[in-house]
Amino acid sequence: MRNFKLYSILTLLSIAFIASCSKDFIEVAPEGKPLEALYYQNEDEAFSALIAVYDVTRKNSGGFENMITMMNAGSDDHFAGGGGATDGVGIQSFSNYTESPTTIPASFWNDHYQGIFRANILLQKLPAVDMSDALKSRFAAEAKALRALYYFNLVRMFKNVPLILEPLTPTNMYEVLQASPADVYTQIENDLTEAINDLPASLLSSEIGRLNKGAAQALLGKVYLYDGKNTQAAAILAEVNGTPGSPNQYGNYLLTNYNDLWVVNNKFNAESIWEVAHASTGSSHWGVWGSGSDEGNSVNVMVGPRGYVKIGSTAPSLPDGWSFCVITQDLYNVLNGDPRFGATILDLKALKIAGEADYIAGYQDTGYFLNKFLPRSSDVSTGTGDAVLNYRQNTYIIRLADTYLLEAEALGGNGTRAQALLDAVRSRVGLSSIPVSMAAIKAERRKELAGEGHRFFDLVRWGDAASVLSSRGFVSGKHEIFPIPYLELENTQIVQNPNY
Amino acid sequence: MSLNFLSRNFKKFIFLSSVFFGVLASAQDQKTVSGNVTADGIPLAGASVVVKDTKIGTTTDFDGIFTLSVPVSAKTLVVSYLGYATQEVAITSGEMSIVLIEDQNTLDEVVINVGYGSQKKSVNTGAISKVTAKDLEGTPNNGRIEQALQGKTTGVFIASNAGQPGSSSTIRVRGVTSFNGYGGNNVLWVVDGIAISDDIGFLNQSDIESIEVLKDAASLAIYGARSASGVILVTTKKGKQGNIKVGYTGSYGYSSPAKTLNMLNAREYATIMNEKAIAAGQSPVFSDVSIFGEGTDWQDAIFNKNATRYNHEINISGGNEISNFYLSFGTQDQQGIVMSDISNYNKKSIRLNSNHKLFNKLTIGQSLGYSHQKSVGLGNTNSEFGGPLSSAINLDPITPLVETDPVEIYGPLYTNDYVIRDENGNPYGISPIVGQEMTNPLAYAQTRKGQASWGDDIVGNVFLEYAPIEGLKIKSTLGTKLAYWGYEGFTPIFYLNSSTGNLVNNITRSENKIFAWNLENTITYSKQFGSHDFTILLGQGAYEDDNPTGLSITHSGIPTNNYQDASFNFDIPASSKTGWAYTTEPHRVSSLFSRLNYNYDEKYLFTGIIRRDGSSNFGTNNKYGVFPSFSLGWVLSKETFWKDNNYVNQVKIRGGYGVTGNDRIGRFSYLSTIGGGRNYTMGIDELITSGSSPNAPANPDLKWEETRQTNIGFESRLFNDFNINFDWFNKKTVGILQPVSIPGYVGSTGLPSANVADMTNKGIEIELGYKKRFNEVNFSVSGNVSTLKNEVTYLGNDIDFITTNTAGFQSMGAVTRTEVGQSYNYFYGFETDGIFQNMDEVNAYTNSLGGLIQPGAQPGDFRWKDTDGNGTISDDDKTYLGSPIPKYTFGLTLNADYKGFDVMVLAQGVAGNKIFQGLRRLDILNSNYQDIALTRWTGEGTSNDFPRLTNTDSNGNFGKMSDFYLQKGDYLRLKVIQLGYSIPKSLSDKIGAEKVRFSLTGENVFTFTKYTGYDPEIGGDISGIDRGYYPQARTFLFGANFQF
Repeated sequence: MRNFKLYSILTLLSIAFIASCSKDFIEVAPEGKPLEALYYQNEDEAFSALIAVYDVTRKNSGGFENMITMMNAGSDDHFAGGGGATDGVGIQSFSNYTESPTTIPASFWNDHYQGIFRANILLQKLPAVDMSDALKSRFAAEAKALRALYYFNLVRMFKNVPLILEPLTPTNMYEVLQASPADVYTQIENDLTEAINDLPASLLSSEIGRLNKGAAQALLGKVYLYDGKNTQAAAILAEVNGTPGSPNQYGNYLLTNYNDLWVVNNKFNAESIWEVAHASTGSSHWGVWGSGSDEGNSVNVMVGPRGYVKIGSTAPSLPDGWSFCVITQDLYNVLNGDPRFGATILDLKALKIAGEADYIAGYQDTGYFLNKFLPRSSDVSTGTGDAVLNYRQNTYIIRLADTYLLEAEALGGNGTRAQALLDAVRSRVGLSSIPVSMAAIKAERRKELAGEGHRFFDLVRWGDAASVLSSRGFVSGKHEIFPIPYLELENTQIVQNPNY
Repeated sequence: MSLNFLSRNFKKFIFLSSVFFGVLASAQDQKTVSGNVTADGIPLAGASVVVKDTKIGTTTDFDGIFTLSVPVSAKTLVVSYLGYATQEVAITSGEMSIVLIEDQNTLDEVVINVGYGSQKKSVNTGAISKVTAKDLEGTPNNGRIEQALQGKTTGVFIASNAGQPGSSSTIRVRGVTSFNGYGGNNVLWVVDGIAISDDIGFLNQSDIESIEVLKDAASLAIYGARSASGVILVTTKKGKQGNIKVGYTGSYGYSSPAKTLNMLNAREYATIMNEKAIAAGQSPVFSDVSIFGEGTDWQDAIFNKNATRYNHEINISGGNEISNFYLSFGTQDQQGIVMSDISNYNKKSIRLNSNHKLFNKLTIGQSLGYSHQKSVGLGNTNSEFGGPLSSAINLDPITPLVETDPVEIYGPLYTNDYVIRDENGNPYGISPIVGQEMTNPLAYAQTRKGQASWGDDIVGNVFLEYAPIEGLKIKSTLGTKLAYWGYEGFTPIFYLNSSTGNLVNNITRSENKIFAWNLENTITYSKQFGSHDFTILLGQGAYEDDNPTGLSITHSGIPTNNYQDASFNFDIPASSKTGWAYTTEPHRVSSLFSRLNYNYDEKYLFTGIIRRDGSSNFGTNNKYGVFPSFSLGWVLSKETFWKDNNYVNQVKIRGGYGVTGNDRIGRFSYLSTIGGGRNYTMGIDELITSGSSPNAPANPDLKWEETRQTNIGFESRLFNDFNINFDWFNKKTVGILQPVSIPGYVGSTGLPSANVADMTNKGIEIELGYKKRFNEVNFSVSGNVSTLKNEVTYLGNDIDFITTNTAGFQSMGAVTRTEVGQSYNYFYGFETDGIFQNMDEVNAYTNSLGGLIQPGAQPGDFRWKDTDGNGTISDDDKTYLGSPIPKYTFGLTLNADYKGFDVMVLAQGVAGNKIFQGLRRLDILNSNYQDIALTRWTGEGTSNDFPRLTNTDSNGNFGKMSDFYLQKGDYLRLKVIQLGYSIPKSLSDKIGAEKVRFSLTGENVFTFTKYTGYDPEIGGDISGIDRGYYPQARTFLFGANFQF
């Protein structure tokens, strides 16, 4: 009995001792989430970091707040549409020019800066990574070209943006000031110029989707044009365009059939210079929609009609969408009779009247839908994610017809080369030559690139926005740029854009 | 513990003295008195029976029977038993039958669990509410103990998370303590000493002996860093000394919806849709409205008015001086009132608790519960994005439940091969006018059959207690919760409408596991010398929980499309099999704690607690937190100057202050980690390539959220029959973990967390009790009222409000806001100021410059208040519109019995809160309306609160968050009405039963409220957002209770 007592006391005490003395007990380490300090050791990790920089290009066509539908909504070619006047306050308020610091989706600011941060940290870490110098310079070139794209979007949308080229720390993050737009353009141009030097002219088949020299040149040409450096723009764009109507040095040429640009399987086609890739195998679901693990194209579901029912055989097979970016009568009239009409516009109004199809009218319904990006029944994802979030159509950031017209514009809209560039774009769709002029180039851009998110930026660049968009509520000197999102001003040195 | 000890000694004393005096008395003339002592029809073993004014006495045996030799001169017996009113009974010849009445008024005899020990309520200095098995007995058992607690205690807000059977509830003890995000507002449950940080669905209501809710910091501090949001202690039943007892409790009944909504019928609907379209310059939706009649009642299709529910529980218990045990088995089955086929719940549970004296001073005990739960759920509730409830509200009344018109059946709507059909082969109606996720609920139900989730919980502990010398106890307890849960389901290929379908079938199995454990060692020493009485507790604990691991496998494209035949055994290519698994790093806490209870003559009371916790969630620089508390009490009525009177019988004043913590602040927020999932698609083959980048910046200073609370209260008994308990508290949480909104240009993917915000909760709590026996009628009533004022006091330097953790609604964006000076997540939006009745009113609404404040407005549109006075309507005009947090919660329980009959009424409610009524889908133009839409503005003077209907809604009448969407959330609910009858003892004796009782119970019988949705009881992290809440059922049950 006495022994038993002793034994039990000892047991109790020893249990107490073991449990209380192990300080390590409450030190729990994360699994599968490497610490930042220990990352960026080798090529695989650097590549993974590079992919994270590419990730943000999805902003062009992924997530509810994507560049294409947003920029379309503010142009004269589209209404915001959707389910109702408040379906997507951000896109609606840009569409009718009532945007404010609280309605402007912060993601158009934040997402691009996420891309910039990821580029900055990779550029900072690259020198110490254990990999070949050649690869390092290629990775750096890609990171810089991507950073240039993100800054280009930022400076076009918000104009007065901070220029951040290395990761910020908690101690200096609140001290940042906005840079002058000129400085931002200079940085973009420097980044692209450096990238062009180190990017490969051609890609291995296993590398398709990454940037080559031509992509960076095309963007640089476009940037120069926005920066008013028309001579440099024309020069670099000539490198990209080569002889109008013939393949360029990178093998790019205008596709024979304009409709083929919108065939989902024609990914990375010859006309594509820089495109954003999407996949249906990503199993995107509502929980990750718009985030880094969302690989689907969101423009598709957004522009599809609501409650679509195919009745007759001539009606297309379409899954449902949300009826955003419906096409204005104005654009309809412009494209009416143009060979590109069918590829650009689905006239559901006519089909409904003919009894071939039915649909539920959404907000600002015109009956005209953006055919370039309409979801197709044959293309609905059968993966495990939410089908509407997993469309796989890629979208273009720059394609050759765009650079043709940009170069013609950079040339001032006259001269034989400008004429040849314009002719090439027209003749591809079977249109005859018309005399080149700025007016002709503007008209051609509108039709050729309709619905691809360029129109608003074009109008602003040309100085035409005030006159064209005044009926929508556009105020000159204000609405050329977005207000800076409200939260960005909290505790920072950021100054709101004029008149907001 | 000490009380048991005392009472045991007392019995021993009585026994010895009766022997002693019995011997002395044998010389005198003696007579034998015998009889039995019962309470509530149950024999009381160990009751003391003493001849008045003598020391002659005995205690009753296991069957409540006593036999006593007394002097012939003895006239009166004094019969007493702990917790019961002492009775004086005249000695009669023959078998005496003495019935003791439970005495809730004797404060000083109630014992409460205070965590790691118990204490007499009379000397406790904290704010602890106790609910006993008896309180729970009358409360219908719906499988969730939280619901049984509702309305019974002060300071606790409980709202069901859904009317789906088996659903958990949102519990807030003294308000919202944290900004949540990681469950920081959830109470810590401690079941038989086992800390349970997650679900307590495994508990079986009739196994519960008592529940204590710890509310003030002086009581909570003993649970340190895990206690800030309240602790609920649950003690399960133990066997009692005496014969083996067998009990059965069961009920069977039917549930139905307590309320359905009045939606527009087909004709009203068509009229309004046309009106809306025409107002927007569109062509009418329907060419001829007159062809429509009542149309389809979708709610009728989804609600089951005869949903069955049953509950059977058997328990066996008993014990002797050495061992005791309690064994129970329970089974419950409930059909939901919404589409019972795909909404039901079943639970089976077993419990074995036992205690054994191994040797003289060594006790071993264990408790072990096992439960299996199976739940079939609607898949989408309280969501405006589909599911039966949302669809029934939003679908048009024109589409038929089942399409039988041959023209339509072969029409374009039903051409898809996977349209769902009824048993006659007719397709379930598909709405051609309301699309999106609003689908025919009957068809929807067909797609969800064969989907169920399940859970197995094994929760138990073993303790060893050694009492080497009097007053000293050394105890070691090992507790575990082993939980397995998962889901098994088949999703067929289906087509519900053009936007909702599934092209490839799949069968999924997921399994998850948690193994949580805690080890605690305590030493308790109690000593009394003179009038000084103290108890010291020293303890040490180690805890691990919240460490789920799991996996899920999906096989797609199996060669059958019905759930009965679906199987993982089909041979399909490996490419059609997908799976994933996860591991969660454990949450660990290491603790040292101590407590001193001291009282002088049970008059001057003191409790002091100090606990030190180390948590794996804390940052590198703050691994350990210390949580002290103290409380004082003064029992005035024990003072010599306090004269015995019939007005104020007992008074105790108490007060305390303490610091508690919340370590539910998420994992590894203090480290900078690399996050994956920043992927990008590469190449023609759509190869998804992994991308990684740093997550949020590190914050090594991260620590617990600290809650400091002051509590002052008193407990008193007045006029012998009234009890009043009063508490005032002021609870301040400081350093609430908050994602720090760093500028977007930093480019961080996540936000770093820091201990930033402060918030207070203040309130008073009053409990009133009255208990009286009028002749043969026992009557008692108890009521409680709690008030709460929540205020966010700090959000960081120069930060007025934050936008994280808000509730959003469809395209409105956030409808709540957290702002300094207001309550947490208050409703934030535009204030309406009536409706413009004509253009003159629009033109008269001008600013100081003479410009129109609402230039685009039309007659019939809301006039928005220009709250910032700047002459335009913008987001800056959004303002405070109310709070989802109730200012008042209250409960009332009434009990009465007369002979064999008894009645119980329980009412509870809340007041002072607002509910966001968001039942209608905004972005679907043709969604149906509730019949309030018939009162819409249609011309001058027609309405000043329901605007005109138009498809464009350019004024944002419906699209803007405004007070239009908010309604008073006040309600008073007759939660339980129960009538019982116990058959007379003479009758039950014949079948060998101690007790036979039958009852009829109405649950959720009636709710007084002005709220226009289904049910004003809406839980959730931010309560009071109604997107189509699964309402609580109204249930009528027949019950039976047998005791052998």
